[in-house]
Amino acid sequence: MSTINDFSGYNPTWCPGCGNWGIGVAIKQALVQLNLSPSKVGVVFGIGCSGNMNDFLNAYAIHSLHGRAIPNAIGIKLANHKMPVVAIVGDGDCYGEGGNHLIHACRGNHDITVIVHDNGVYGLTTGQVAPTALKGFKSKSTPSGIIEIPINPLSLAIGSGATFVAQSFAGDVNHAIAMIKAGIEHKGFSLINILQPCVTFNKINTYQYYLQKVYKLPLNYKKDNFKTAVEKSLEMNEEKFPLGIVYETDKPSYTDQLPQLEKKTLVEKERFSDFEKLMIDFI
Amino acid sequence: MSFTWKIGGEAGFGIMTTGLLFSKIASRSGYHIFDYVEYPSLIRGGHNAYEVHVSENETTHLNKTIEILVCLNKETFEKHKFRLTSESLVIYDKDEFGIISDYKTINIPFKKILSELKGQPVMKNTIALGASIAVLGGDIDVLLKIIEEQFSKKGEEIINFNKQFANVGFNQVKNNYKTLILNYLTKRKSDVKLVMTGNDAFSLGSMIADCRLYVAYPMTPASSVLTTLASWQKKTNIVVRHAEDEISVINTAIGASFAGVRSSVGTSGGGFALMVETVSLAGVTEIPLVIFVSQRPGPATGMPTWTEQGDLLFAVHSGHGEFPKIVLAPGDIEEMIELTAKAYNLADIYQLPVIVMSDMLLSESHKTVSKKFVDDFIAEYKVNRGKISNIKASTFAKASVDEQNFLRYKITEDGISERLIPETPGSFYQANSYEHLEDGHTTEESAPRIAQVDKRARKWQTYLKSDFQLPKIYGDIDKADVVFVCWGSTKGVVVEEQKILLKKDKASACIHFNHMYPLDKEKIKGIFNKKKRYILVENNSWGQFGKLLLQETGIEIKEKLLKYDGRPIMAEEIINKLT
Repeated sequence: MSTINDFSGYNPTWCPGCGNWGIGVAIKQALVQLNLSPSKVGVVFGIGCSGNMNDFLNAYAIHSLHGRAIPNAIGIKLANHKMPVVAIVGDGDCYGEGGNHLIHACRGNHDITVIVHDNGVYGLTTGQVAPTALKGFKSKSTPSGIIEIPINPLSLAIGSGATFVAQSFAGDVNHAIAMIKAGIEHKGFSLINILQPCVTFNKINTYQYYLQKVYKLPLNYKKDNFKTAVEKSLEMNEEKFPLGIVYETDKPSYTDQLPQLEKKTLVEKERFSDFEKLMIDFI
Repeated sequence: MSFTWKIGGEAGFGIMTTGLLFSKIASRSGYHIFDYVEYPSLIRGGHNAYEVHVSENETTHLNKTIEILVCLNKETFEKHKFRLTSESLVIYDKDEFGIISDYKTINIPFKKILSELKGQPVMKNTIALGASIAVLGGDIDVLLKIIEEQFSKKGEEIINFNKQFANVGFNQVKNNYKTLILNYLTKRKSDVKLVMTGNDAFSLGSMIADCRLYVAYPMTPASSVLTTLASWQKKTNIVVRHAEDEISVINTAIGASFAGVRSSVGTSGGGFALMVETVSLAGVTEIPLVIFVSQRPGPATGMPTWTEQGDLLFAVHSGHGEFPKIVLAPGDIEEMIELTAKAYNLADIYQLPVIVMSDMLLSESHKTVSKKFVDDFIAEYKVNRGKISNIKASTFAKASVDEQNFLRYKITEDGISERLIPETPGSFYQANSYEHLEDGHTTEESAPRIAQVDKRARKWQTYLKSDFQLPKIYGDIDKADVVFVCWGSTKGVVVEEQKILLKKDKASACIHFNHMYPLDKEKIKGIFNKKKRYILVENNSWGQFGKLLLQETGIEIKEKLLKYDGRPIMAEEIINKLT
């Protein structure tokens, strides 16, 4: 059995009270509870306060570029589809810079788990708006308030073909653990949007704000119904935040559909050597 | 003996396929070929043309004179008549258009034959091939055999239906134009040859090198690598991902390479521009990657289906920050196979991005390659994965309890640190895009920063000592009146033009670079130490290699032959430059 300590790298440098602390603990705890160890999991970090978890979490990891964690994660999965692969990213990272990758990773049902720290701001660059900021949010880059409406990550993912879409809250670590575990165990693309107060740069979406606006999906909620899932996710547009697995369905993942990977992973395969088969095309 | 056969017609009616078939017919008849396609960036309605230079000896260039021009429409004649001589033969359909002609003409009633035999418009091509074989004195059975292979799955009836068009074309010439028949394509003995493009060669080279993942987004003229490797998936078990954009393309490949799989990507200049941020990521994380860049004329969308060597400096300087990379530029199909396979080894040995450059001319032109050459190369080639740690779980105290952080970026004398394949039990590490310590953790401290920058830079020194190849010299510099300097695909035309000069008793030499970057200053200066007339030959307007050579070695070549109209350089153009 591994322990939290096995996964603990350097001591985090996040601001005191930052939602990242809760998410960081939840990720490690989920990995421990899944009986994984640092050598058995692939993790890709984006760039931002969330991505800075790279030094605090032990794993075979890439600390990637801003926005590019998802395609890196897809690549790791293609190479070794038996290894769980997790992308730890921020809202600007995943919904802004890397938005296109998110859509297409959903479409492909790539078997990776994307954990998004959604705090509505770019913390690491001192608090400019993120794509999830509420309309009118004032920041250094939008002094008169942001004109755009916020992106809805849940409906975007569900509509794009994601087979697991969940939401959690950094203030409820146990809930986050459960969601992360379920996401990693899900075969196919999973998105976990974690609402996270930025205590330094976001004075609107605070712990108090979320405590008033979040609610847990009831036990009898049917997570496999596409239409209800879309309706539930649209509640975010009215600042109501459902917590739990909003949508989950069972479909073959990308690597499930590659006959090349039926028997062995790409990395453990034998070298191809029957070149006559190829040269025939050129005669 | 050598001649040029060219066919032209409206886009969308099988000109490309027909041209390739002619190349294969010539190859199977025992000849060497080099071919070239001309097509606009659209699918229907434009003008397509395909020319094949056929020779008894190896050929790597185009001739200015066209000996046989097959005109499936009038435009073909109008566009290419400036390359005809009074000895040239023009094949056309008198019923469709007239030509005022000082040339020898052969009338083939394509339209009439099609309507009589109830053929599809594309079958004009089969008639044209039959007629071409006849006029060249070739063996129609070569074409009939190809038709059998092509339609083998469709049954006897379809095969015979198609064969009749070949025969009709063939007999039209045999019966009506006996006096015009040439003996250019009579069957001769030769070893088995492969008819390959540069893109085919990159694809085959990748398979030889055990590439297991190819990721791309379609972009002319690199697209056929994507489609070829995709079509080989069932045969080879390679995985091909057509991703949403070039940014995803290169980042997918980086992920897979990190996880231990040989991976590559391919694109043209515009797509490479999108990838460049991640070239830098590969540099600092020291993740091996092969990047195929097939150039076309830019800037921006430029002239998508034409040729240029305009991205050399872009490739050499690609990526923000300072990090080592290697740039190779094969000169022909054989070099493309060799250097592609070498690129994968270099990427693994030095743990950095290796760029393999091509251009539309090299990527899409076919050339015959001796099959024996390829067989021998396959037998000789050894996969070298470089320094991969063979740490086993037992090395560590107890797997999964005391897993230890691996020193992925350990400071070493040769600049290369051991890699560890993820999922190796007992350890872990992070490949970090931030500057990092030996164990991969982020650092902003002065001393480790300097140590890591220097470590990465030492890989270049190691490469220059161990794997860099000096340019090849064709001809004898000492005896040469003039020395041409070129790189990549311009090799073919320069070497050909040397032969023409030699016939005129003019000795020349050619210095051809294919290991483009980094360059070994002292060794290269040794080659340029003679007082000669040096001429730089490049398919671009800046003389980009000239600039690179000056920057890296201080050698300046003042006289230049530069062509940048999207067309390849022809031997005659170099000869004219000298006089």
